[in-house]
Amino acid sequence: MNERELEFRNLVYGRFVELGRVPRFEELGFDPEEGKELLRSLHDAHALVLERDTTEIRMLNPFSAVPSAYRVAAGGRTWFANCAWDAFGVCAALAVDGHVSAACADCAEPIEIDVRGGAPEPDEHFVHILVSAAHWWDDIVFT
Amino acid sequence: MNLFRSEEHIERWLGGREPGATITAGTMCELAHAWWDTRLAPDWRPRTRDENQAILTRLGLTGDFWALL
Repeated sequence: MNERELEFRNLVYGRFVELGRVPRFEELGFDPEEGKELLRSLHDAHALVLERDTTEIRMLNPFSAVPSAYRVAAGGRTWFANCAWDAFGVCAALAVDGHVSAACADCAEPIEIDVRGGAPEPDEHFVHILVSAAHWWDDIVFT
Repeated sequence: MNLFRSEEHIERWLGGREPGATITAGTMCELAHAWWDTRLAPDWRPRTRDENQAILTRLGLTGDFWALL
């Protein structure tokens, strides 16, 4: 990842958190054509995830740019996360306590978890990781 | 990576499929904080594979399943 890609990546993440949504190129002060090229490079470097065959941002991990089954109230906003890991990760990235709302993937019963001081309350739930670490990026949306 | 009410729910959800790894929400939360806590830092840089692997190892997430590429 070169310096220009890093600069763009950090700008995208910063503005996303500031705005609560994916920023437009003009809000980043970048030419759209260069911005699209940078997005593709960052996607290839696993620094963010684009929708398949587009330059639309799907994931700014741990944040999801599209609605998901994992909602996180943190830092004065409600965010979507990509999975259980990322749901806790939203609180970690923002360095705040928060609240995760999800559902059991088996029975769909709601699961509500507070995150305080980096720990879940209650701490009585489980996470299952189906895909082994070496294959997480084979299909990150499935993972 | 899904949340479940209990290990019994995971088994039922798998329905005979090969299981992956199950960890508590507490461990996942700890992992998330170790993994994502610098994500918004203005001087953020990508971690190396070895740095990422060290985070997993520190939390006891070892073995073939947790071996990164």
